[in-house]
Amino acid sequence: MFEALENSTAAIWVGESLWGYPLLLGLHVVGLAIVAGIFLMLNLRILGFNKGVSYESFLSLFRLAWVGLAINAISGTALFSSQATTFISSTPFLLKIGLITVGVICAVLIRRQLRSSAASWDASAGAISGSTRLLAILSILCWIGAIGAGRLIAYL
Amino acid sequence: MDALVQTIEGSAINSWILSSYWLWPVLEIIHFIGLSLLLGAMLIVDLRLAGYLRQIDIMATHRLLPWATFGFLLNLVTGTLFFLGDPARYSINIGFQLKMILVLIAGLNALWFIWKLNPHIGSWDAHGDTPAAAKVVAILSLVAWLGVLLLGRLIPYVGTG
Repeated sequence: MFEALENSTAAIWVGESLWGYPLLLGLHVVGLAIVAGIFLMLNLRILGFNKGVSYESFLSLFRLAWVGLAINAISGTALFSSQATTFISSTPFLLKIGLITVGVICAVLIRRQLRSSAASWDASAGAISGSTRLLAILSILCWIGAIGAGRLIAYL
Repeated sequence: MDALVQTIEGSAINSWILSSYWLWPVLEIIHFIGLSLLLGAMLIVDLRLAGYLRQIDIMATHRLLPWATFGFLLNLVTGTLFFLGDPARYSINIGFQLKMILVLIAGLNALWFIWKLNPHIGSWDAHGDTPAAAKVVAILSLVAWLGVLLLGRLIPYVGTG
């Protein structure tokens, strides 16, 4: 299956065109910075930093984070297709996909908390639960871990 | 420039950077974490300065600047070590040269904001629209930093300038 993907017209374009691969890598780092950047700021906010930056604003920022994630899902799939058989047997790649999956689950759970509680947190009326703080810590570890694992694909 | 490259290549720090197989990827990972902190903080600051995200009190955007500064410092240190590790490659690379020009533009833009606009920020509507000058600074900042990311990733693929 991964061999067929690697030999598809689109995958061959990514691998062989002069600008395909570097431009996709460029898009991938822009998407990474948007997703990891917004989630890092949100999680730091939940952990007590960035005071005064309203929780409700992060509901709007979530939409931007999903755009970043979509950019990376698309550019990442294209990059994957060009060397599918290599990537699928790369430990750091598999670790990265696992960490992103957990990171996205954390993000969905945190967003649910925000939707129900952002207004009361902003009014200092409700305390942030310990489990939400744990989710924030887990989320930070996932995105930093995904960045690390992603970079190591080229070295291991 | 040739003399500088030769001096660096004969230096102790150059051989230290190249002596360990793992140092370079570790520096790269730190560089990517740094750019995420910088861009994440600047996205929120600049979107608010451009007039969006009005739920955020404009004064509160100052709280995000330490993260942007921290990310920038991480990348200044790791980036300097990359340059010292392989000066011959970076100094003549057109992607690296354009990236440094954009970093300079982003820096001057930020300084201009601090000197000319920030002193008046208290008189702006905390949850309202922003002056046109702030919007220009914000958009220039976002374009410059996104350009820095893109050019940085292209360095291994572009030629000499």
